[in-house]
Amino acid sequence: MNRLSAIVTRIEGEQNLHIISFDFQGVPLSMMGLDLPFGLEIGSHVILGAKPSHIAIAKELQGVLSYSNQLEAKILRIENGTLLCSILLHVKGIALQSFITRRSSERMGLVEGENVTVLIKASELFVLEVLDV
Amino acid sequence: MIEIAIEKELLGSHGKMPLHVTLSIEDKSFVALSGQSGSGKTTLLRILAGLENARGTIRVDGEEWLNEKYMLAPQQRGIGFVFQDYALFPNMSVIENLLFVRQDKALAQHLLKLIEMDELAQRKPNTLSGGQKQRVSLCRAMMNHPKLLLMDEPLSALDPLMRTKLQHEILTLHKEFETTTIMVSHDPSEIYRLSNRVIVLNQGNVIQDGDAKSVLLKTQGSQKFSFEGELLDIIKVDVIYVAIVSIGQQIVEVVLDESEARELHVGSVVNISTKAFAPVIQTSKR
Repeated sequence: MNRLSAIVTRIEGEQNLHIISFDFQGVPLSMMGLDLPFGLEIGSHVILGAKPSHIAIAKELQGVLSYSNQLEAKILRIENGTLLCSILLHVKGIALQSFITRRSSERMGLVEGENVTVLIKASELFVLEVLDV
Repeated sequence: MIEIAIEKELLGSHGKMPLHVTLSIEDKSFVALSGQSGSGKTTLLRILAGLENARGTIRVDGEEWLNEKYMLAPQQRGIGFVFQDYALFPNMSVIENLLFVRQDKALAQHLLKLIEMDELAQRKPNTLSGGQKQRVSLCRAMMNHPKLLLMDEPLSALDPLMRTKLQHEILTLHKEFETTTIMVSHDPSEIYRLSNRVIVLNQGNVIQDGDAKSVLLKTQGSQKFSFEGELLDIIKVDVIYVAIVSIGQQIVEVVLDESEARELHVGSVVNISTKAFAPVIQTSKR
């Protein structure tokens, strides 16, 4: 599981639905969720989570995307399986893992050392833990 | 308003256990009392009913039911009690069971009509199903217009379909009579549907007190879809890992990465969670 340490910068609510914005090392991130996690408020230090299967990768990105979370990353390592491919990425000093199909990896011609963009939907990013509660 | 401040020493599975409960219960509320077996739930109901003594005070609408010097007799408390095992008089018909409590034919007939049992009024209990018997016990408990209705796992002996039906009938009676009710229950759907307050006892103490959603919804951070299960196996497939977990009566699979697979141990109790946005919900085909 990918873990990102971030600070809560904004909370918008509509009944029990919320959009929470974060600062992750200067990069804005956001997620949608139902009731707020216990103890979460503006300024809270949180650990965000994202499953490797929920992390998409873009190369030479152009146009506009609905993905709320877009992070510049560098490919550290590619491990090819028969069908899938595990890609280890470096983002702002931390390692993220992404599972994509091997076919996609080959279609994109991904190679180690290459710069790419990591994409995570707001519905798929989550709060694993609220620290200092 | 019911004000309870009682203490009693119980003999629990781990030796002596003090039951220590201080609660205020609003009129007309429906309280679900939950907690593991041996936590003191049934004893609390019995103390409220006057079937057991305790130290402390119980005050109902300003009337003292229990204090340091005095214990009001059960039959003077104005209580309705529904047990898991019905406790009907086998030699009396349905309507006679009700009239035994109070000679009020109009009320008895009204109650039986409310729960669609009026056609079975002349039947003896041994010709009724479990669900029908429990509906009769429920009506009987309502016959003397109780100030407080106590129910000790009233639906736990019934099959799921009958449970749902009786939950609706309990709700119908609660809406009509607005009787303050305390019900021991372990069933989350029952607690959610019926109660407006849930009190969880553990080792004789109240450990949670709130509405059904805040007490029952298990969350992990922002994960609202959360279950506890036993990790049965971890299998490597291609570059990923698949965990096999048993939850309730079902087996589920969850995809893991290598670091998660390394940290988890087969046989351990695990928590599976995801955001409320991820699961797909469909009417069950079964």
